[in-house]
Amino acid sequence: MKKENEELYYAQGLAVPETPKPGENPKPWDKTHVVGKAMPRVDAYERVSGSAVYPSDLLLPNMLYGAILRCPHPHAKIKGMDISRAKKMPGVHALINGSAPGTNPKWVYASFSRIEFPTSLFDSHCRFEGEAVAAVAAETPYQAWDALRAIKVDYEILPFVADARKALEPGAPKVHEKGNQAGETQRYERGDVKKGFEEAEATVEMAFNTPAELHTPMELHGCVANWEGDSLTVWESTQGVYAIQSGVAQALGLPLSKVRVVGHYMGGGFGSKLRAGKYTIIAAILARLTARPVKLVLTREETFLTTGNRPPSYMRLKAGVKKDGTLTALDFSCTGTGGAYPASGTALVDWVVRDLYTCPNVRTEATDVYINAGPARPMRAPGHPQGAWALEQMMDALAEAVGMDPVELRLKNIPSYSQARPGNPAYTSTGLRECLVEGAKAFGWKEAREKLAREDQKSHIRRGVGMAAGLWVAGGGGPPSSIVIKLFSDGSVNLNMGASDIGTGTKTVMAMVISEELGVKPEMIQIEHADTGTTQYATPSGGSKTIPTESPAVRAAAIDVRRQLLEVAAAEMKVDPSSLVLAGGELHLKQDPSRKVKIGEIQGLKKRGVIVGLGYRGPNPDNRVVNPFAAQFCEVEVDMRTGEVRILHFLGAHDSGRVMNRLTYDNQVFGGITMGIGLAMTEERILDQNNTGKMVNRNWHDYKLPTALDVPPGMTSLPIEPHDTEANTTGAKGLGEPVTIPTAPAVANAVYHATGVRIIDSPMSPVRLCGRFSEQRKEA
Amino acid sequence: MLKKFAYVRPGSVKEALDHLSSEGARVHAGGTDLLGCLREQTFEAKTVVSISGIESLRGIRKGGGGLRIGALTTIAEVAENTELQMNYTALARAASEVASPQLRNQGTIGGNICQKPRCWYYRGEFHCLRKGGEQCFAVGGENAFHCILGGENCFIVHPSDTAPALAALGAKAHIAGPGGKRSVLLESFFVSPAQDYTRETVLSSNEIVTEIELPPHEEGLRSSYRKVRARRSWDFALAGVALAMVFEGDMVKKARVYLSGVAPVPWRAKEVEDLITGKKIDADLAAKAGSAAVQKAAPLEQNAYKVFLTRGAVEEELQAIARTQGKGS
Repeated sequence: MKKENEELYYAQGLAVPETPKPGENPKPWDKTHVVGKAMPRVDAYERVSGSAVYPSDLLLPNMLYGAILRCPHPHAKIKGMDISRAKKMPGVHALINGSAPGTNPKWVYASFSRIEFPTSLFDSHCRFEGEAVAAVAAETPYQAWDALRAIKVDYEILPFVADARKALEPGAPKVHEKGNQAGETQRYERGDVKKGFEEAEATVEMAFNTPAELHTPMELHGCVANWEGDSLTVWESTQGVYAIQSGVAQALGLPLSKVRVVGHYMGGGFGSKLRAGKYTIIAAILARLTARPVKLVLTREETFLTTGNRPPSYMRLKAGVKKDGTLTALDFSCTGTGGAYPASGTALVDWVVRDLYTCPNVRTEATDVYINAGPARPMRAPGHPQGAWALEQMMDALAEAVGMDPVELRLKNIPSYSQARPGNPAYTSTGLRECLVEGAKAFGWKEAREKLAREDQKSHIRRGVGMAAGLWVAGGGGPPSSIVIKLFSDGSVNLNMGASDIGTGTKTVMAMVISEELGVKPEMIQIEHADTGTTQYATPSGGSKTIPTESPAVRAAAIDVRRQLLEVAAAEMKVDPSSLVLAGGELHLKQDPSRKVKIGEIQGLKKRGVIVGLGYRGPNPDNRVVNPFAAQFCEVEVDMRTGEVRILHFLGAHDSGRVMNRLTYDNQVFGGITMGIGLAMTEERILDQNNTGKMVNRNWHDYKLPTALDVPPGMTSLPIEPHDTEANTTGAKGLGEPVTIPTAPAVANAVYHATGVRIIDSPMSPVRLCGRFSEQRKEA
Repeated sequence: MLKKFAYVRPGSVKEALDHLSSEGARVHAGGTDLLGCLREQTFEAKTVVSISGIESLRGIRKGGGGLRIGALTTIAEVAENTELQMNYTALARAASEVASPQLRNQGTIGGNICQKPRCWYYRGEFHCLRKGGEQCFAVGGENAFHCILGGENCFIVHPSDTAPALAALGAKAHIAGPGGKRSVLLESFFVSPAQDYTRETVLSSNEIVTEIELPPHEEGLRSSYRKVRARRSWDFALAGVALAMVFEGDMVKKARVYLSGVAPVPWRAKEVEDLITGKKIDADLAAKAGSAAVQKAAPLEQNAYKVFLTRGAVEEELQAIARTQGKGS
């Protein structure tokens, strides 16, 4: 080989192999230069210009369109099916209903439930409206739907149960042979509840109910599936590509290496896109049968019926308090339902009751039942908003019972450790007190209460203020996560990360972390993520753990890059690496800043072409709990004649550790409050209880999400940063879920303050308020 | 997914009427209601006859001493028209409360008064009475959003905000059909379930509304519309009230009161009109009028709240209109 060729193909004189040293944990940041600033998203242009390709945008050559025929009844058995006409319809390439070999794999609905409850992809016993019955792949979506309409299904319609409160009644129709209770009733107890109530100087007992809510992300659930030989690629709108990979591999009996899942952009999930859906498996089977790519994106109505919900919760809470505000006992019970299959219908509903406030005597009980409705999926802070709806209204009522300010009552009962976990581990940080104190101050809580107490509220328009607090059981993140960062010879950077950015700004935050450590401008950072074929393993983006999980790993990888870069530069400058400083794309001597070199001019880097830094998420601290905390405050105006509630102002004070990007941080706070207002005011899945058991409001008009006019024009985000140096190396805690936990009870407490009417059922629309006002008038 | 249909977009009313005489033809104007119905398969269309290209049906002009509003005039145009805001406030306000900005830009005034009922049984996969079935599912069903007045065999509510305002203002609908033109007062335009539960208006399938005519503005006329809904935008009325009242000083000389959201047709509250005519509105009378409005209400299991709500809305709006200075007077 000639010399010039050797120079072209091989780097000469390269001494050091690129092996990362086992590093110590970096010190917590003191003052940051990039992290914490308000930075627009790195992919903002792609998102707003429409050039970002979401799975629902994807078009592959020769692609077919899939569609699923669904059972229109909440409970039915398929007695027969005639597909002969549908098969011959124009454009139809494949039609499956589970009868052909290889088209009816085992399916497990259970998500984070521990109960194994298998069914199959096409089960002739349909236990909820919308269950998959058959599927087609055709040249156009219209042909696919025409074919579905040509399928004749003979159903034996069975009696249904659509109300969790009736599921355990004697004689209730059975969703499953074994009965309608999903697992054992879950019980928790600490202290002596009976004694606690004896010590109480005031006791309040109330029932609280929240209906089922739907996730309704902007982008519909769906995927594109394509086979190359025996390897499958799935482009899925998902919160976690690796979770989809394992789900698909398991259902189809494939090795993980044969399943690649790509999910770069996705239009929202809120917990409903953590797992593969039946549609994912159906698309893969149709693609295999037709040897063509198949796109299967559900309709809005299908997503309402089949892709999860926040389970309804029917709760009862009794609480005891001393006159000085000390809680003495909490006794909580809840019935809920995850729908027709095990899906954690009551999971975490009692967590805030167990752990938000200091209370020595606590008992909780949760009974999960089956009904003939779509299986639940985790929805933004599973269980917590429901539990907070009960607990935080109760705290309001207790404060009134002992004549205390609601903020003061809460301040009286702030724990420094987790009471509900074995061993009572301490929190790495708890900003609950600061959230309450600083939040009340910024909101003008005392002044507002005093002003409203003075005012003559005789008019039919009444004002009130309310507040509530919360914590989120998770939000600390943790291993595993591995990150690869490449520094190119011109100083530009490539980040390789498996995690999905589910719209919260994950990519932007990670670019800021790299920028903080390497001084590289965020626009010089290229991000590859959410692809099982090319990026590193990551757990799904859920549980408000993506930033506390990934940012320390990204920071570690960036530090690894910097360490190697300093070594290369130091060797060239013939100085010790520790004497060099990296800043603004240059390295200079600490003692003599005039001795410097630009990253792009380091010969050693040019030769090797790239520095590869690896970062791993280290373990969380032993015997410590990392939880975010929150307090929210609002003011409302209520029309006593029409039951209309107007929210005038909202303030969210949140301890989610370090603010990583003030802009996306505030986005999360406002978005969480908006979603909480949906629970408080407008959202409710309605099943036709008495006639058919079918969902009557399966569209975006009848299932009412709050609009821009339903949220206050003024929302304030007040970050409480406790400088948590224990949680992880960036000090960030989860934010996306805690922001929606206290919202609904804060509104309810404000409505109570304005009207004197306690609303125990959400949503608080004029439907409910006029009903309650009317009852009140009759009572009077 | 929509089923197949033929689509024609004629350039003249005559051509449109010819197309509409074919079986299974449906009128399309703004399409905001029609497309939903077709998607939900509430009914089918063999031919969609779009009148959206007939320019002569657009716009607001003076005529007959009052105003004439072409059927294709968008809801947004009605809401933003300054003369309507000034002299026919109820209509402009009702239009401004319709749906969402996007839908107001697309939806038309003709379509708004001809829209299909908003009952989730009628719109959903339920073979209800109005669709040729045996029963009204709202009876004993999920009926929080159904009617408390005028329900007989079918308990829909009329979804339009502009219709009660137009009826209160004494507007007339001009109709074109194969037999020529006719006009019908809005108060007689709607068909109650008691009369015929398979239809909502007096239109036959090959007729279209071409224009709405508002009578000349009367000295002392004040009008208003109040809508209460479950959320503050993109929602139909839970209950509402359209008022058109002629004042002489503080005294109510004439009154027309129509309720929305509580009955299968825009509901004339004759009891309220009788009670307030010839009187000065004070808090006491307004409260009595509120009660009079719901005197005959017969709520279903889940919608008794509408009795309270309607009473409150009527009371509040009567007091409000008594306080405003009539702009045209």
